[in-house]
Amino acid sequence: MTEMDQHRQSPAPADPEAGGGGEVFRLASVVKRWEGAPGFELSVPRLTIREGEKVALVGYSGCGKSTLLDLLAMILEPDRADEFTFGGGGLPSMDVGAAWRQRDIDGLARVRMRRIGYVLQTGGLLPFLRICDNIALSRRGLGLPDDGSVERVAEKLGIARHLKKYPSQLSVGERQRAAIARAMAHQPAVVIADEPTASLDPINAGEIMGLFTALAEEKGVTLIVATHEWDRVEALDFRPIRFQLTQAAGGAVRAQVGGRE
Amino acid sequence: MHGLKTIIGLSLRDYFHERLLSACAVMGLAAILAPLLILFGVKSGIINTMVDRLVRDPRNLEISPIGSGHYGQKWFAEMAALPEVAFVIPRTRSIASSMILSRRSGGRTRTLAVDLIPTGEGDPLLEKWGRVPADNHQVVLSASAARKIGVKAGDTITGRVGRAVNGVKQQVTLPLAVAAVLPEGTFSRDAAFIRLALLEATEDYRDGFGSALFGWPGPPRPAGARQYPGFRLYARSIYDLITLRDRLQAEGLEVYTRAEQIEVVQRLDRSFSLIFRLIALVAVCGYLASMASNVLAGVNRKRRHLGVIRLIGFSTASIVWFPVVQSVATSVLGTALAAGLYGASALIINRLFARYLAVGEYVCRLSLLHLAAAFAVTLALGVIAASLAAYRVTRIEPSTVIRDV
Repeated sequence: MTEMDQHRQSPAPADPEAGGGGEVFRLASVVKRWEGAPGFELSVPRLTIREGEKVALVGYSGCGKSTLLDLLAMILEPDRADEFTFGGGGLPSMDVGAAWRQRDIDGLARVRMRRIGYVLQTGGLLPFLRICDNIALSRRGLGLPDDGSVERVAEKLGIARHLKKYPSQLSVGERQRAAIARAMAHQPAVVIADEPTASLDPINAGEIMGLFTALAEEKGVTLIVATHEWDRVEALDFRPIRFQLTQAAGGAVRAQVGGRE
Repeated sequence: MHGLKTIIGLSLRDYFHERLLSACAVMGLAAILAPLLILFGVKSGIINTMVDRLVRDPRNLEISPIGSGHYGQKWFAEMAALPEVAFVIPRTRSIASSMILSRRSGGRTRTLAVDLIPTGEGDPLLEKWGRVPADNHQVVLSASAARKIGVKAGDTITGRVGRAVNGVKQQVTLPLAVAAVLPEGTFSRDAAFIRLALLEATEDYRDGFGSALFGWPGPPRPAGARQYPGFRLYARSIYDLITLRDRLQAEGLEVYTRAEQIEVVQRLDRSFSLIFRLIALVAVCGYLASMASNVLAGVNRKRRHLGVIRLIGFSTASIVWFPVVQSVATSVLGTALAAGLYGASALIINRLFARYLAVGEYVCRLSLLHLAAAFAVTLALGVIAASLAAYRVTRIEPSTVIRDV
């Protein structure tokens, strides 16, 4: 596969429903299988996520939400990918499937560092770094200057007074705010969050999700959130993507991404 | 590049964050390295001191003939021209090379028969411990000879040589100035070092001839090249000594040297080095195993954090340095601590043995080069020990570890 081929898909054809925004992700016939008994297979017949969209992957645990997030975050290699591109932000789109086939792990890592932020359910912070250094991690890795953006994002998330502390000195809720700040501080195009509020009490969860969404909207960031609580994000104007589970002969679970696009 | 810089910073932060564990690793390394440094320091200190003592003592550089031979002027000229030879001078027949020294003091006369030893400019024995007689009427005495007739440097004594010509006893005397007295323990016999001209005149007088130089009566010595039965010969170094010994033995000469003693020290050095190498090998294996397991356990413990670092998007090439930087930090700090412990121990050891040592001699000594070598080896071992862990780091899949709790 040549450089030309990689860029052939861009610019993506305008979707009638797109409303003008470019495509961030475009997937067609992407499959990830987990071997073993009983086995699991996630298949994505078609999925398009546009710039600035807020998308919620909704479903019970084990339905394939995390698998899809890891595929989108380019940390999990698909077994099949007829089409898998990552673009947006006016940049040429990148053929993720081809990069995997070429084992260009570091190329994927570079794109991830510059353009994606990732929020884990818990414990995404490094315990040996103070909160400010945790938040600044991607910026440092990219060689971005200390221009006060760490402080600003911490301020917005209400943890400015904790910047000099270590993660172990913070409550679970404060740590999640810090994790969101880290995913946002380098101004990525996409922020991916895996059950970001699942380990919080409902009041904290609601507040943090609200802050998170507002921040993403303010910065025009595409937000992809996995959650098993649809009612938590419904009011925040997320587009749901649902999973259909079927059981194949032999007991293997097959999940198919089947939300309305 | 920013990625690598950030990873190095992260690694050091983690190293400091876990400072208790890090300090244990540093002390573990120092506990292995410090005894090795002390052992090696003592070995090289003692051996160097022994070798220095051997080298600095001119007697160890002497080659003496066993029995008597016939050596002409030509042979001496050849020997003196050899680069390995520091000093060579002929000896006369031993039966003829003696003299009665006498000194009158306080109405009493003390006399002593001494061996006459020829000397001249460049004699290492006299240049080290006394001085070479400036003329034919100066003499350097061995410590025992000076003690027995009660003289010191600057005194004047009388030398007497006797002979029997056709059953008639004759003798000549000459005044001798004591130029120097050798220290105790440097020459074991009662001896007087004199210039070759006086020794040759003494031998001629004993043979019944006279000496124009000293005004001794008798017919002149018949013309003809002089033949000497022996020599005093000194090599320039212990290496030259072995070369010269082998050369003379190849000529069919039987010689005596102290080369065996030097070889004993060299053998001792080799044996010590072997023992040291064995101990070092065992220590290195132990250190490698413990360090590797330490770093590996650390990486396994931090799988999730390393997974998060990869998830953020740091490259494989930079993230492998995470365990290596920590291992190198342990090596640097451990070597520094070991060097400090060694320095303190060396100070104590050298002070303990100070009274057996001359200025510039040490029981425990390491050169900067040795310390630098120890540092380089530890550093290399640190990197090797971390390599397995570094490989493990490259195999970490963020998707499988980031959700571990």
